[in-house]
Amino acid sequence: MKKILAFALCLALALAALAGCAGTSSSAAGNGPAGSAPGSAPADSGSAPGSAELNLYTWEGMFPQEVLDAFTAETGIKINYSSFDTDETMLAKLETANGGDYDVVIADDYIVETAIAEGLVMPLDKSLIPNFGNINPAYQGQFFDPDDAYTVPYGSGVQTIVYDPSLVDLEIKGYADLWDASLKGSVGVTSNFRVMNGMALKIAGESYNTNELAAIDAAGAKLAELAPNIRLIKYDNLQDDLLSGEVSACVMYTSQVTMACLANPELKVVYPSEGVGFGIMAQFVPVNAPHADAAHAFIDYILRPEVSKQCFEFMGYYCTNKAADALIEAEYRAFLTLPEDLDTGKMEMIQNISAEAMEAHTRVWTEFRQACGQ
Amino acid sequence: MRARRKKRGGVWLTLLPLYLFTLVFVAGPLVYMLVLSFQTRAEVWGVIHEFTTDNYQNILQPVYLNTFLESFRLAIVSTLLICAIGYPFGYFMAKLSPVWKGRVMMLLMIPFWTSSLIRLYGWIIIFRANGTLDKLLMGLGLTDSPLKLLYTYPAVVVGMVYALLQFMILAVYSSAEKLDWSLVEAARDLGATPLKAFLTVTLPLTLPGLLSGVILTFIPSMGLFFIADILGGNKVVLVGSLIQDQLMKAHNWPFAAALSVVLMVLTSLMISLYKRVTHTTELEGLL
Amino acid sequence: MKNRTRLPNLYLGLIIVILYLPIVLVVLYSFNESKISSVWSGFSLRWYETLFRDRAMFEALGNSLVLALSASLGAAAVGTLGAYGFTKVQLRTKSAVEYLSMLPIMIPEIILGMVFMAFFSLLGLPFGMTTLILAHTTFCIPYVYMLVKARLVGMDPSLAEAARDLGAGEARVFFDITLPLLAPAILSGMLLSFAMSLDDVIISIFVTGVNVNTLPIKVYTQIKTGVTPEINALCTLMLGATLLLVVLSNVLGKVGKPKAGGDPIKPAPKRDKKEEHS
Repeated sequence: MKKILAFALCLALALAALAGCAGTSSSAAGNGPAGSAPGSAPADSGSAPGSAELNLYTWEGMFPQEVLDAFTAETGIKINYSSFDTDETMLAKLETANGGDYDVVIADDYIVETAIAEGLVMPLDKSLIPNFGNINPAYQGQFFDPDDAYTVPYGSGVQTIVYDPSLVDLEIKGYADLWDASLKGSVGVTSNFRVMNGMALKIAGESYNTNELAAIDAAGAKLAELAPNIRLIKYDNLQDDLLSGEVSACVMYTSQVTMACLANPELKVVYPSEGVGFGIMAQFVPVNAPHADAAHAFIDYILRPEVSKQCFEFMGYYCTNKAADALIEAEYRAFLTLPEDLDTGKMEMIQNISAEAMEAHTRVWTEFRQACGQ
Repeated sequence: MRARRKKRGGVWLTLLPLYLFTLVFVAGPLVYMLVLSFQTRAEVWGVIHEFTTDNYQNILQPVYLNTFLESFRLAIVSTLLICAIGYPFGYFMAKLSPVWKGRVMMLLMIPFWTSSLIRLYGWIIIFRANGTLDKLLMGLGLTDSPLKLLYTYPAVVVGMVYALLQFMILAVYSSAEKLDWSLVEAARDLGATPLKAFLTVTLPLTLPGLLSGVILTFIPSMGLFFIADILGGNKVVLVGSLIQDQLMKAHNWPFAAALSVVLMVLTSLMISLYKRVTHTTELEGLL
Repeated sequence: MKNRTRLPNLYLGLIIVILYLPIVLVVLYSFNESKISSVWSGFSLRWYETLFRDRAMFEALGNSLVLALSASLGAAAVGTLGAYGFTKVQLRTKSAVEYLSMLPIMIPEIILGMVFMAFFSLLGLPFGMTTLILAHTTFCIPYVYMLVKARLVGMDPSLAEAARDLGAGEARVFFDITLPLLAPAILSGMLLSFAMSLDDVIISIFVTGVNVNTLPIKVYTQIKTGVTPEINALCTLMLGATLLLVVLSNVLGKVGKPKAGGDPIKPAPKRDKKEEHS
């Protein structure tokens, strides 16, 4: 017991030392660059001296550290990077903060629509974003911000099927092929129920966003037939299971597709014939952002083609900056830009639907998961 | 009477922080949850303040009842296994020399100071097809093909036991450690077999520790759905997972609250049932 | 009493080996070249390099440790005092409060997190370390309370009575007699609390502020781009540091030890006293 006490004392000392380190290093990081680049922060002049900061709120790992550091070096604005796990957590926190606390938020399309509807988003001052024209128009004017008044897209995800041709006997062309009996116990899927129920809806020729309960129930019945083929359902690191041979076909997110294909170029990526679903992550400035000027400066900085290139290669999501497309290295190009022969008319985004339809979706999804566990 | 109360003033002070924390940070959330469970969800986001019992009626659908059954099954299986593994560990640990007690305790705790997600990834590496376990078993000639253990029910159970074992061990240990071993020796001297001495002396005296251990493992095991998600490939649907889905994906907060209330009531019932059966109530147990 | 066989020790050893199995693999894979955890593509220190360039990660680690230490100390104080107090007085509200104080392990974390967030905002507390410590202390209390209570039940009261007969005040009896006897349970509870706090993510995400990241928050929010093996490297370093501290404390313990195998629980109260005064 004495040793444990001694251990605890050591730990406390180490903690104190570490806390001290963390404290000084962060303040040094804040002061150094700020002194070196005075006045270069665009419209910072009128605000208080403490405003050379930017509170960024998004998932972890959305920006390469070099990009954030370069921004700080150039503008003197220190970035506080906070992260959330789900869009919903973000919205709940933003609501509690009354649209304050954070300066730039990056989240998924459907939640941005809700945030705008709740009055938590500030219209962008485009005069502060000269690079606004670099955005790929394919990702503009979407349902969550039809007039592009509030948001700048930052990456897009496209739902594709990836499979290992050495383990799969048939050629997969669309979602329907996943139901094939030869794939028993060897399919991995993402745990987003709108995407998964959506597969069955798409096979039946329905929209992702149908509010018809009968259609959702029918999709649930169809999905239940897929259960014997399902080996796992999960959100993160699905690519690992495809690469280790735990599963031979996957429905997964774009960044996972990119990682998987870079590790194993033999893998095949399929844009499902029934229709392609996609989503957009968008940057916005909360209505009471404490450093709105810095926020605009940041959004503009990220829109620079060479900065965007770095970001998208790092993240592995589809590039939403048209000016950056040409800069993307060849090895990434196939994953970060849409294929030219893709029928964009068959693309559809997942949007908010009625409460009843949502109920039906969650019930059907739970039944599906239970069926998979049998 | 009054004089006595005055003398006990200090004791009241010792209870004050517990009362404060409990009333402010526990009773508050509890009331909030109860109120929420009788409200109506808004169309897309938030809650409408309209009284309804729909959320509770919703739970009666077979798919959700199944989820409760499945959760209890997993929690009971895990808790039993944890008892079976953890009780002897805590008991033996209490018999070690003081130096080794400290060492074993550190050895027990160090793994749990790393991220639980990372530890689960460690299990994934072990269970994976052609992973560590397969190579070991095939190397020993015990099996000749990969077991495909990952994303199955046994993998989930292993994960649960692994995540909660130290709660049981520490609970049993801290009650066995104060045990007066001379009592056991006396029983042995009086001719009791080791088994009899254990059953009549040791076990009853360590029962409070076992009870704490059961509570500390059974209750959290109802909520550790991320183990089922990661090691079970999301195919074992637990109430915790359902609550998470309802809150974070379906935006149905009142239904999630109702599920939580029912879960809490059922868990409390299970615990009191356990106490009734094992007669630990007489030992001034909890709840 | 001497162990008659080596079987118990074998059992302890076996369980500990199994406990460390996944950890050993994590350590091994921290030296993996590939970003993909399922493919071993050769030895590399790449993730350590990434880690050492990642200031934010170390800042988060510092925050996590400070938080875990504060919360486990707070929970030890509140939980121990509470469990002790309840043995001294019979209150009608006792069973209710006891039940309530257990609830944080029963209420799903997300709900606790959401309510804590709403509540702190209502109180006007700025989100950050303070709110984190309050929230973590709350959910750590049950662990200390349960373990201390299990030890208090059936504890020989004659020692305390003897002290009282000799004229010791209630406080004196508590600090000099009861607390040393409770030390192993308090310590176990604190170690558990420390581990729980160090691992909590859901509640933390809700109650933290703009500039305070904890380690689990950084790990669990890598959802969009995948968890990188950088975290394996960090876990390895943390394990290494912990082991180093254990060895160090062994050495320190030897220096300050009057006789081998002395009273195992005597030194503990010193620390607990300190924390209760603060």
